[in-house]
Amino acid sequence: MDIDIIQQIINGLSLGSVYALIAVGYSLVYSILLFSNFAHGGFLVVGGYICYYFLMMHGASVWTASAAALVGAGLSAVLVERLAYKPIRERTPITLYLLIASMGMSIVIENIFVVTIGGRFRALPDVLPMQPVNVFGIATTSAFDILSLVVAIVCLVALQLFLTKTKWGLAIRAASYNLKTAGLMGVNVNRLISIVFFVAGVLAAVGGIFLSARYTLYPQLGSTITTKAFVAAVIGGLGSLPGAVIGSLILGLAEMLTAGLISSQFRDLVVFGLLIITLVIRPTGLFGKSVSEKV
Amino acid sequence: MRLFFLCRGKDSLSSSLGTSSTNRNFNTIWRCGILKKILAILTVAAVLCASGSAFAAAKAPAKAPAKAPAKAAAVKAPAKAPAAKAAAKAPAAKTPAKGAPIKVGYLAALTGDFAAYGKTEVNMAKMVIGDVNKAGGVLGRPIQLVIYDTKTRNEDAVNAVRRMIEQDKVCAILGANSSGINIATAPIVNRGKVPQISTVGTNPIVTVDEKGKVRPYSFRICFTDPYQGKLAADLAVKDLKKMKGAILYNVGSDYAQGLRQFFMEDYKKLGGKVVADEGFRDTDVDFRAQLTKVKSSGADILFLPGMGKDMALAIKQAKELGLSKLTIIGGDGYGEFMNEIAGKAMVGTYWINHTYLEDPGMKPVFARYKKVYKDDCKEFVNGTMAYDATKWLIDAIKRAGKDNGPAIAKALETTKGLKLTHATITISAKDHNPINKPGIILKVASDLHTKFYKKVQPK
Repeated sequence: MDIDIIQQIINGLSLGSVYALIAVGYSLVYSILLFSNFAHGGFLVVGGYICYYFLMMHGASVWTASAAALVGAGLSAVLVERLAYKPIRERTPITLYLLIASMGMSIVIENIFVVTIGGRFRALPDVLPMQPVNVFGIATTSAFDILSLVVAIVCLVALQLFLTKTKWGLAIRAASYNLKTAGLMGVNVNRLISIVFFVAGVLAAVGGIFLSARYTLYPQLGSTITTKAFVAAVIGGLGSLPGAVIGSLILGLAEMLTAGLISSQFRDLVVFGLLIITLVIRPTGLFGKSVSEKV
Repeated sequence: MRLFFLCRGKDSLSSSLGTSSTNRNFNTIWRCGILKKILAILTVAAVLCASGSAFAAAKAPAKAPAKAPAKAAAVKAPAKAPAAKAAAKAPAAKTPAKGAPIKVGYLAALTGDFAAYGKTEVNMAKMVIGDVNKAGGVLGRPIQLVIYDTKTRNEDAVNAVRRMIEQDKVCAILGANSSGINIATAPIVNRGKVPQISTVGTNPIVTVDEKGKVRPYSFRICFTDPYQGKLAADLAVKDLKKMKGAILYNVGSDYAQGLRQFFMEDYKKLGGKVVADEGFRDTDVDFRAQLTKVKSSGADILFLPGMGKDMALAIKQAKELGLSKLTIIGGDGYGEFMNEIAGKAMVGTYWINHTYLEDPGMKPVFARYKKVYKDDCKEFVNGTMAYDATKWLIDAIKRAGKDNGPAIAKALETTKGLKLTHATITISAKDHNPINKPGIILKVASDLHTKFYKKVQPK
């Protein structure tokens, strides 16, 4: 039974690492603009489809396809921001409207894919290693899990370096304290927001590639995962990046341990139960900042 | 809540919109409210036009132009009708058959998880009906196929069947391939007195209701799950000698629940022991937790009573978790598209099914399919069953002598010794199932194609 738990923990960590990539992008946008971008899943799907397209049509190597997917998803995120959020942001300070617009954009992106490419799932060709790997002889995980964990760590470290060591990272950190004041201090707010969305799009695309390689790619993939990422971000504290990571790992572990030890049918129940408990006991989440209105 | 936030206080408006004079005139008219009222009326009219044209387009498949209901003069151009619900066109009407067309409905999943099965079935049916019409039709009249997309959802299937019966006035319905969908549509076809033939719906409740009474208008061309469960259990115990079984099934699927139950009963009767019984929900894609439990239970065989995609993911993830020694048996939810997802993990898996790829009777049919559609008939089981179901229906219409629902149902019910391409069927009036239909066991070879393993005739 002990071996079982260790295996489930490993499963949970690997799932959580993929969630972490997506939740971090989500929290990043939240920390600057103070609204939950429900269209985040859309960037994920865009990244997945671009990667699939490059892999299938041009037979490109997985590196080229991934790079194209990352850039494409980042650009699509910037496009969504310019189209849907900027006009609203300029006219009103109420972030509720941004939230509603993001729900609309998530439906638009999903259905653009359904109408043009078709709602049928696509399986990515076998470019990522999937063979089983034995961990210290006590549990077996797949090479894919280890790869996703490593990539997630690399991306998050890269993000951390970007935020602490570069000028724009400093601007983003300043803006997450107070966007208006950062603007007053000479930061080009529009460009800052575009950069934040680009980064969020890139992170979502990385998560998207792993998710579509493992579970097949279909347009609704984005909305399912965005809900989980939202829960993870809330548990960890909306607006806090380390919180998003911790929240995702907690979520991944909770899902796998519930499915393993209790029953797989209680999985969603436990996940959303955690959300409610967090909101009741500690609404700011584990690391979040307390703001009067969180939309 | 203000619907148009553009018309907020004059300060924010003029400051953000710029201060050209046209804008200021616009502002004054806007705040008067007249423009708002006109815009509201136009929006409502546009929505009505759009829904009217969508309704009309979906209703009259190949023929009537989209008639938008005429509203007052100041109406915007009607929006394009949504493509999703639109029925496909009937086959080319260059037939020597004359007279009013006999309308037959086809219920299939053209989008969603079951799309691979549904598209093959529809293509096969169109091919058959096209050939029949060219040869003079049935009773001297052409057959018109009215196709609806179930989107792999029970709700859409029920709506589609209602429209087929009430608006299109079909005399019979072919499909769907899923037990769940046919169980959901059974009350409607029975009330509407239109016979429905399921191609691969194997749950007993498709033709016989929970109280054991046969549904007068529900039929099927395939065997049922009790038989399938027995075949799987026999294969596991007698052929493969695996006595510790595990099951992974979808708790939300009628088909999976039924098949699991029948497998478990027979497996236990033959001396096998079920050491792991794991469930998952409809939308789950990650089965690692359940597969870990299967692994630690020490099972040597895994039974998957699922449908295509989830079985493929489970097989792939089982391999990733190092469960390569586990033998896997699946039911007739097998689809060749599973190879895309699971790849090499599919090699060596066993599948209980209705027919096999190398069936000599179906060879010319598949060749013709390839010629017409320039593509292999990938889901060969669905293709075969759709082909034979269409032929069966045409035979029944001929015997009934008219395109009347109750008459066709009677003809279907009294089918005896009808030689179709993959089997000869006799229908039992007691439960509307084909009597003594053999099951075929397939095994996936290293080239990822299924090879015939065994044919089992019921005793």
